[in-house]
Amino acid sequence: MPKLDVLVRGNRHCLTFQPGPSLREILDRSDYRVRSACLGHGACGLCRIRQLAGDECPRQPAELLHLSKAQLADGIRLACQIYPTTDLAVELINPAAPSGWHTPPAGLSVAPPSLAADRPLPGGVCHPYGAAVDLGTTHLSLAVYDLLSGHRLAERWGKNPQARFGADVVTRLMAATEPDIAQALAFAARNAIGEAIEDVTLREGLDPQRINRVTVVGNTAMLTLLAARNHDLLLKPAYWTAAVDCAATDGASWAAAWGISGSAEIELMPPLGGFVGSDLIAGLVTSALIDGPAPALFIDFGTNSEIALWTGDELLVTATAGGPAFESGAGSCGTPAEAGAVFRVTEAPGGTLVYRILDDDRAKGLCGSGLVDLVACLLRVGRLEPTGKFADGGKLFAFSVGEQEFVLNKRDIDALQRAKAAIGAGIVALCATAGVPLAALKRVVVAGLFGRYLDIGNAQAIGLLPLLPAAYIELAGNTAAAGAAALLISRQAQEMAERLRSRAQLINLAHYPNFDDAFLDHLYLRPMQEN
Amino acid sequence: MDAASTVRDDFRPLIEALLAGDHAAALAETRRLSQIGLSAETIVTAGLEIAMQQLDDKCTVESFNLLEIMLVGRAVSAVVRELYPEGVPPDKSRGTLIVATLEGDVHDLGKNIVKMVLIGKGYRVIDLGRDCPVDTVVAAAEREAASGVLISGLISTIVPQVRRVRAALRAHGLDAVWVVAGGAALKQLVATDLDVDCVAENAFDGARYIEQRFGETKP
Repeated sequence: MPKLDVLVRGNRHCLTFQPGPSLREILDRSDYRVRSACLGHGACGLCRIRQLAGDECPRQPAELLHLSKAQLADGIRLACQIYPTTDLAVELINPAAPSGWHTPPAGLSVAPPSLAADRPLPGGVCHPYGAAVDLGTTHLSLAVYDLLSGHRLAERWGKNPQARFGADVVTRLMAATEPDIAQALAFAARNAIGEAIEDVTLREGLDPQRINRVTVVGNTAMLTLLAARNHDLLLKPAYWTAAVDCAATDGASWAAAWGISGSAEIELMPPLGGFVGSDLIAGLVTSALIDGPAPALFIDFGTNSEIALWTGDELLVTATAGGPAFESGAGSCGTPAEAGAVFRVTEAPGGTLVYRILDDDRAKGLCGSGLVDLVACLLRVGRLEPTGKFADGGKLFAFSVGEQEFVLNKRDIDALQRAKAAIGAGIVALCATAGVPLAALKRVVVAGLFGRYLDIGNAQAIGLLPLLPAAYIELAGNTAAAGAAALLISRQAQEMAERLRSRAQLINLAHYPNFDDAFLDHLYLRPMQEN
Repeated sequence: MDAASTVRDDFRPLIEALLAGDHAAALAETRRLSQIGLSAETIVTAGLEIAMQQLDDKCTVESFNLLEIMLVGRAVSAVVRELYPEGVPPDKSRGTLIVATLEGDVHDLGKNIVKMVLIGKGYRVIDLGRDCPVDTVVAAAEREAASGVLISGLISTIVPQVRRVRAALRAHGLDAVWVVAGGAALKQLVATDLDVDCVAENAFDGARYIEQRFGETKP
């Protein structure tokens, strides 16, 4: 891949990029953003950079309009007008203030093209926009769409600030039994949506008052905590297979706080029930699970992981605790799959490990896919045993990526084993309930940003995915965000969601008699086996 | 403490097999020790109990992962079944204890670990499983003449149930039964809050409390 050297405030950073997007889009995914106030069509003239080295492409009309002769002679360009294909070095002369909101690592929250923008437009705004929100336990993503054309205008993702109240949903639900904390959790989620709207509208030059519909998907816990309603019910086992109402009751005040149109429709897509949220429905809409080959398995790897099995006739769904290992990597050396994450680890001839970093040259830590790769490599070379023990009896594996040093603890591997076991037991329970052998599966959809960079061979080697031909396995990315967009714009998507809702049977894993044995089997780091 | 100094040489292979979670090897060793004439009590005292002590020492430095602990649990259960196919009779055990995960909670990993530790220490353990009503706990404590009840809970919704246990025992004249609570949701609370004798930090901590109480009652 070509290299991009970025000089910002005197520091040099080296990124790699896939040719295709503009320089501004490449920078937007990293921590080194330029100022801007339009959608990148050269209208605002703010994204000025100085080209220091690399192929010179011809000046574009927008650059001739915004830049003086002296600036042009000095190598100043507009980042949105350059589409680099080879190595490039630039200086950011107008860097944006640091922000927690970025363009997602890979623009994957696009509504499937088959789902047209055919929903009736909300009244009150001429030519309205809509915002699709996927409120995840760890991350929040928001995309702005033109509701008339169905075009995606821009998107952002950042951390769910509720994490300071606990990494997983049960901890947050327990915290929310205190009314003050419930209010704080609701405020944190609403405020994050507001910040994302502010960042995307300011930087893309969009009028927030034109946003006239907001469609939110999420797991049940996230939706009830956002709405500040009924989150207490989720702590009662009787509700683990029951519907939980989490519609927004005060949409007008949310719209006012977000600075969007006062007539905006705020839709919290209802969850399926129990811990299975509307993020799963959105994912199933995106992947058209019940319209494709069967039997098909859908796994959304996340802090709250959701699994669906389509037998061709029945749709079984469940939720299981994944913990943060998939989304944020492992404890001490973990990081989300964003700029600076080690997302790929391979063995070079001779046995040395090669680490690849996402959109940066300075490693912040291992994201989920990097963790899976590293664990699989250590197993292959015999440094790690299938039980998760280090062969030398030690408690850690120290490694360095460039100048950064990291430590993978036994405890970090244990967290991955537990998350894997919860999902493996869930898969086995759904398949056993439906009478579908693992080997009969014709399609496996791997959702979640974690899955985006997953090495299928390594995932199978440690037993994270069933042993099936790689062609059956789809790494689908953030299907929840894509589905939220589809539900925002498309009546067809809404209808499919209703069909899914009426067919889905909620399975409570606790009632699966062999759960404990299945859980223990899947704690091992070894290929998944049929029992 | 230095547990290794108290290990009998002939028990070393059994203890190693148990700690490795190798239940086939542990069973084979148990059979060998039985065949050379060692009693079930001796195998528990010199084998299982020492293994539990070593596991406790290691767990405190967090060198065991969940799989290893579960494998040890499986091996301990297999050995106990081999030694006492009919279950540990009350007169052979150091006392009877009830373990349960209360109604409303189906997360019983913690309970299973405490059960393993207690069995390994030679107690007779009645496991009432998960999602277990308080009344069932009380009935079992009465029927089995249990000395203590250990309840685990991962989620906080079972707190009200835990608070009921002592009163329900008293209502049946079982005032002397110790009540120990443990698990993620419960260990954030103090014993008086839950009306229990002890809130255990982990399975080993709970088992230590039980041992200590049994120690006090002996002459």
